[in-house]
Amino acid sequence: MTYAFTLNGQPIEVEADVAGMTSLLSVLRESFGLTGTKLGCGEGRCGACTVLVDGTPVVSCLYPLANVDSSDVRTVEGLARPDEPLTAVQSALLDHGAVQCGACVPGVAMTLTALLECAEHVTEDDVRAALTGNICRCTGYTKFVEAAASVAADSGGRR
Amino acid sequence: MTAVGKNVRRADGEGKVRGSVRYGMDYTEPGALTGKVLRSSLPAARIVTLDTSTAASMPGVRAIATAVDAPGLSGMFFVLKDQSLFAKDEVRYAGEALAAVAADTEAQAEAALAAIEVVLDPHEPVLDPDHALTDGARLIHPDWENYETIVPGPRSGNLAWESRIEQGDVDAAFQQAYRVVEDEFRTQRQHQNSIEPHAAVARYEEGRYIVHTPTQFPFNVRGRTAELLGVRPSDVRVVVPAIGGGFGGKLDIMLEPFACVLARKSGRPVRIVNTRSEELRTCAPREGGIVRLRTAVARDGSILAQEGEIIADNGANSSGETVACANVASLVLGSTYRVPNARYVSKVVYTNTPPTAAFRGVNGPYCVFAQEMHLDHIARELGMDRRDIRRHNLMGSGDVMVNGQEVDGPFLQQAMDELENMRPWQQLETSKRPYRGHAIVPVTWLTNPGAGSASVKLNEDGTVTVASAATEIGSGAVATGVRQLVADELGVDFHDVLVTSPDTDTGGYDLGAQGSRTTFGAGNATIDAGKKVREQILDVAADLLEAAPEDLELADGSVHVHGVPDRQVGLAAIAATASMTSGPIIASGGFVAPPEQFDGGCMTGALFTHFTAATYHAHHAEVEVDPETGQVTVLRYAVVQDVGRAINPQMIEGQIQGGVVQGLGYALYEDLRVRGGQVVDDDLESYRLPIAADTPPIDISILENPCPYGPLGAKGAAEPPIVPVAAVIGCAVADAIGAPVNELPVTPFAVLQALRKQDESAA
Repeated sequence: MTYAFTLNGQPIEVEADVAGMTSLLSVLRESFGLTGTKLGCGEGRCGACTVLVDGTPVVSCLYPLANVDSSDVRTVEGLARPDEPLTAVQSALLDHGAVQCGACVPGVAMTLTALLECAEHVTEDDVRAALTGNICRCTGYTKFVEAAASVAADSGGRR
Repeated sequence: MTAVGKNVRRADGEGKVRGSVRYGMDYTEPGALTGKVLRSSLPAARIVTLDTSTAASMPGVRAIATAVDAPGLSGMFFVLKDQSLFAKDEVRYAGEALAAVAADTEAQAEAALAAIEVVLDPHEPVLDPDHALTDGARLIHPDWENYETIVPGPRSGNLAWESRIEQGDVDAAFQQAYRVVEDEFRTQRQHQNSIEPHAAVARYEEGRYIVHTPTQFPFNVRGRTAELLGVRPSDVRVVVPAIGGGFGGKLDIMLEPFACVLARKSGRPVRIVNTRSEELRTCAPREGGIVRLRTAVARDGSILAQEGEIIADNGANSSGETVACANVASLVLGSTYRVPNARYVSKVVYTNTPPTAAFRGVNGPYCVFAQEMHLDHIARELGMDRRDIRRHNLMGSGDVMVNGQEVDGPFLQQAMDELENMRPWQQLETSKRPYRGHAIVPVTWLTNPGAGSASVKLNEDGTVTVASAATEIGSGAVATGVRQLVADELGVDFHDVLVTSPDTDTGGYDLGAQGSRTTFGAGNATIDAGKKVREQILDVAADLLEAAPEDLELADGSVHVHGVPDRQVGLAAIAATASMTSGPIIASGGFVAPPEQFDGGCMTGALFTHFTAATYHAHHAEVEVDPETGQVTVLRYAVVQDVGRAINPQMIEGQIQGGVVQGLGYALYEDLRVRGGQVVDDDLESYRLPIAADTPPIDISILENPCPYGPLGAKGAAEPPIVPVAAVIGCAVADAIGAPVNELPVTPFAVLQALRKQDESAA
């Protein structure tokens, strides 16, 4: 069986020798070399492996490859191309000093991107609620919230 | 333009937000095998059979290692050498390594582990530290007398180490007490839980081990790996990719020696990465502690004398810092308040549980929790206000700490005054509502004094490269702090300062990212090197500009003649000239903190003896308790922190916010339970970490009381924000419910129990 989907804007096919229940994370990291998405716990709890499937954050460590068939998958590498400037979310994370060790940041960046892309008005509570599935051991989250709020403010609630 | 004092973007930041930075967990090498470790299922047993012959012949299996392959004994910081890489004859904790396998695939490695025949003859495990110290308790290390130690330490049987401080005449002071107050406190294990698990990739080349590992302290990993494998430190090279969090958990070896021995035996690179469950079950957490305090006070609230017994659970061996930090407990108890007569005994005890180690603040958080809950008890006995008793006993300028060291200024008072501006105490007291509480806690903390070194060179294009083994664990100390210091020393743009990845082959010795020492120690070493480079630059420039070196200044990537705007030469031209005349511009520098005066005679078994670059802090919290559920909500939090000099204020804020939130987890729910010698909380469903919704508003005020030997006055900033948090939360909850809480974490169950006890005693 072949699984076909879009990965960071590129059409992709994964061949039959990969089982359908293989985690999306291992396919991203091992088949496509996209190591920006991290294996933090492998239990779907820490959220370091968060990617967007059709715009919705999912924990790719538990998400079966078969489920992304015909979907649009975005990873942290797809936020800004290597030769493009950072997205507003990425840039705000740095401006607000929200990055420390950074192991959770690829997942956090995806969650915040999803939130800010679809919500009309984003409050600090919305940001905290959205980040429930992203554990950060370094920052205490405050600077993530400030960064997201600044992006929301700059775009009049939209991004 | 100067960089110091500015919120510059971290140099590794863009790679981190793009996902392009390669962490230890992302690193691998061509042809790497997968390594797996077989670990004991029992906490205490004699090894009857360990037969690897079937496993060795299984498909894909390239090497199996056991105790015969790693003959050495070692211990963290080489203090007490009671740890072997693999269990030999005896198993001392559930999770102790029995064998390791390298195979072509993970599935093959796991199949081989399952095929190793293990027969264990169980002993009754010794689990409770108090019990471990009783006469007749089974000795966990019957051979304890033969272990090497770095200094002779008071030890005996299951007492792995003891440190003592005795100051003044304690017994006489107790005779004169108006009241004597006694308490016992118990605290839990807290796991570092960095998002990146431990990971190591080793290969064996030209008779040397080359290991890539995200460690906080590469030279420790080098030395400890070498000692366990029975080779010289220089036979091991440690290279550090980006580190995905550490918090003390990545100071010591974990997987590196296994990867090394398997690489040698298989002739292939070997990669080992822990699962989250392996992290929680086998990577050493902050130790559980028991603190018993007995204090003699005068009628006016003055502390006359204090006796303290601190029992720290070492676990089954000294592979973590618990032994090395034993005396920190006593220092912390006797450095915030005047304790003129003191007897502190800090005991580190063997149990048949996984070894414990450093987590940010080491034993500070639970000793401060104990001291502060105890002070509230004393205040109740005397009918004193809780803040008044603290202010009354607070260490001031010239006061003497328990180790005989003088306090260098009225900085605790300053911190308390500043906190009063942020959270007026009396106002909060009078406006109190039911089930709401608040508390204030001052604390003195230290900066790790350890050695660092660096070399600085001027590149052909006028940029600057720092070669150092100092590690960036996320605090920004290398990604911003060290770079900011060098940028200003040499008058170059922050972005024109590059820093090499830590590598023990190329970087000079560095004591690692611990105890907030990187900006302080590595920063000082880098400035030392930078000053020498500056001199070389000015010498060359003086010739080119036909001016005296003292008339020159470095700014904007050029050397300028004072007061003559058009006479200048760029650093690239200076580098080119130097390479033709005096030789390429490069220099190395080093640092170790100068000694402080203290009274060595009052201490025995002390490896930490004094406060280097002491910092002063005050925290305040307001909490609300739900009497139906016992749930504690932290309403808001305030921190006053003295950092000496804020090199990057935004990064310091990040350390404070992160440290406070780790402290809230410790205070309220984080608890790595060990039952029957088995770790109960071996996943993140069960081990509860703080999430975004748990974070209260945190107001921060940074004080700058410069340290004469800190880089531009800077002192350690990253470790201390966790230290008083459990204390301030515990005291605030006790205030809210009108009953003490003498154990951590303060779970809803503990709160309900305290409320019920109070109802019963009222009835």
